[in-house]
Amino acid sequence: MADVVLKNVRKSFGRAHVIHGVDLAIGDGEFIVFVGPSGCGKSTLLRLIAGLEDITSGDLFIGGERVNDLAPAKRGIAMVFQSYALYPHMNVYDNMAFGLEMAKSSKAEIDAKVRAAARMLQIETLLDRKPRQLSGGQRQRVAIGRAIVRDPKVFLFDEPLSNLDAALRVQTRIEIAKLHTDTRATMIYVTHDQVEAMTLADRIVVLNAGRIEQVGTPLDLYHRPANLFVAGFIGSPQMNFIPCTVAEAGQDGIEARLPDGGTVTVPVSSEGVRAGAAVTLGIRPDHVRLSGQGTLTGRIELVEELGENHLLYVNVGRERHLTVREPGDARHEVGQEVGLSLDGGFCHLFRETGEALPLLKPAGFPTSRPSAASTSIA
Amino acid sequence: MKVLTRIGFWLLVAAIGLFSIFPFYYAVISSLRSGADLFSVAYLPERLDFSNYVAVFERQPFGTNIVNSVIVAASVVALSLALGITAAYAFGRIRFRGRSLLLMTILAVSMFPQVAVLSGMFELIRSFGLYNTLPGLILANLMLTLPFTVWVLTTFMRELPKEIEEAAFVDGATPWIVVRRIFLPLMMPAAVTTGLLAFIVAWNEFLFALTFTLTNERRTVPPAIALMSGSTAYELPWGTIMAASVIVTLPIIALVLVFQRKIVAGLTAGAVKG
Ligand SMILES: Nc1ncnc2c1ncn2[C@@H]1O[C@H](COP(=O)(O)OP(=O)(O)OP(=O)(O)O)[C@@H](O)[C@H]1O
Ligand SMILES: [Mg+2]
Repeated sequence: MADVVLKNVRKSFGRAHVIHGVDLAIGDGEFIVFVGPSGCGKSTLLRLIAGLEDITSGDLFIGGERVNDLAPAKRGIAMVFQSYALYPHMNVYDNMAFGLEMAKSSKAEIDAKVRAAARMLQIETLLDRKPRQLSGGQRQRVAIGRAIVRDPKVFLFDEPLSNLDAALRVQTRIEIAKLHTDTRATMIYVTHDQVEAMTLADRIVVLNAGRIEQVGTPLDLYHRPANLFVAGFIGSPQMNFIPCTVAEAGQDGIEARLPDGGTVTVPVSSEGVRAGAAVTLGIRPDHVRLSGQGTLTGRIELVEELGENHLLYVNVGRERHLTVREPGDARHEVGQEVGLSLDGGFCHLFRETGEALPLLKPAGFPTSRPSAASTSIA
Repeated sequence: MKVLTRIGFWLLVAAIGLFSIFPFYYAVISSLRSGADLFSVAYLPERLDFSNYVAVFERQPFGTNIVNSVIVAASVVALSLALGITAAYAFGRIRFRGRSLLLMTILAVSMFPQVAVLSGMFELIRSFGLYNTLPGLILANLMLTLPFTVWVLTTFMRELPKEIEEAAFVDGATPWIVVRRIFLPLMMPAAVTTGLLAFIVAWNEFLFALTFTLTNERRTVPPAIALMSGSTAYELPWGTIMAASVIVTLPIIALVLVFQRKIVAGLTAGAVKG
């Protein structure tokens, strides 16, 4: 059993406060992904859990035991570094055997475990090579192999795929997912890549400037972002944001007035919102529809064809742009005037503080496109 | 024009080569001549006369001097590297109060001219009861070699990626194991380079060796050569001195040749990243 619990964990380097009181409970066998902008403290948090940095204040429990003062090796964790961090002077076999040797395992046991891991990762033929004689992908496998042989309760990954090319990244991502199903170990994974986060995670932790913004399942974060930051961070292309004012706050939603005068009724709780208050309306590019007489009109400034769908960047005046994603090939040209309709059922509203107003429909935010033509999301 | 530049270039190369090699060449030539010949200027050996080389070993315990030098230099190298690598680990990796101050102090030590510390060092050596002993010389020489070994190795250690060592810690290695199993192999090129430099310094060290020894049997080679006397008090045994100099230069040339490839590797450090 290896759940990982952080209680009000803080970290400062001298006077620089990097982690500001993180509370997080990670269940046994869960796959948790940390995402967040560069410099937000993802690696630092991971290194705190690994024991490579000392926790300034707060408590860290692994498997129910307080491990604040325990050496990394005693925490039952294994870490895969972004730079692989293989021992350059040892061959692949010795790289993988080193941890077991330190644990004083018998020769026979070491051999069995190393060979089993090598077979699993298909690097059996490389055991005699030095790291410098390996390709990036092969090195990554060795790094993962080095983690596997120690049979850890918790795997820690710091952007393990960021040095690989796109194809290899997908392949290794699938292998890591498989490793998780096979070992059922707890995994904590840091990444910049949205696709990795969405596909691998049981739950995603969104970090920003040393604080947790939101924790939830990938779809939870996508459909019910808790605030402007998460709404903007999850999903690509980014959610469109339009500053609005509240025209009317009623029982079944808020009528938001757009800058150009049109209104959209969004089914969110209007508790504590008064007419005239400034709010931000958010809508994903997939949910904006092109229509003859829309809520907004604008001129297309850029068209990006992606094959299965295309993106339109529409200037709706006052230097404001909306991104629209439409299925198939583009049927519009740059410079063309289009109408855009915003369906309130697909919109999010955020208070001036950035906090999201709770959606009224508790279960099942619509997941299909408002129009008949449906596309997949994320 | 092109030809002129080429000629200029090669002239420069020749000048530099001549400047660096000529003194040694002249020493070799002189060591092969004897008697009155020595005092005439000649640039080519007329005949090979090895009598000087025999005389070096006959007139003084020069064999013992060489053994002394080997003991001192080898011990200095071993101690410098052992202390240098462990110190480099501390300076390069462990954050502690006063780290840069300490590092600066170490560098400052090497800025004092040897003469300045001579009398203090003499008192120290004598109070330890090490006067006229080889350990005394080893101790004194460490003062010359440690500053640069520590500095070079610290710089090198800082360039090694930190993740490698962190991976070892996660794997359960103690700091000592990390130094021995991870750092030592990775630092081999730097260690060879600094070790060789330390060897040369200790091998050629003159002032301490002259001051801290009393008897001929305890001397290392450099003071032994300087204190060589001829058959009469009025004779400067020039040929013998040159022969002795050539003899003691040979081990260094041999060492450099043996470790040449490692030195180059050490000078292009940073290539270790795996
Ligand atoms: N040893 C250190 N000393 C001082 N500040 C540090 C140290 N390590 C990290 N920081 C600071 O802590 C903050 C978080 O760093 P961290 O490496 O955790 O970011 P990150 O989220 O992993 O970023 P990235 O996505 O770019 O890897 C940064 O502002 C960084 O400058
Ligand atoms: Mg990072």
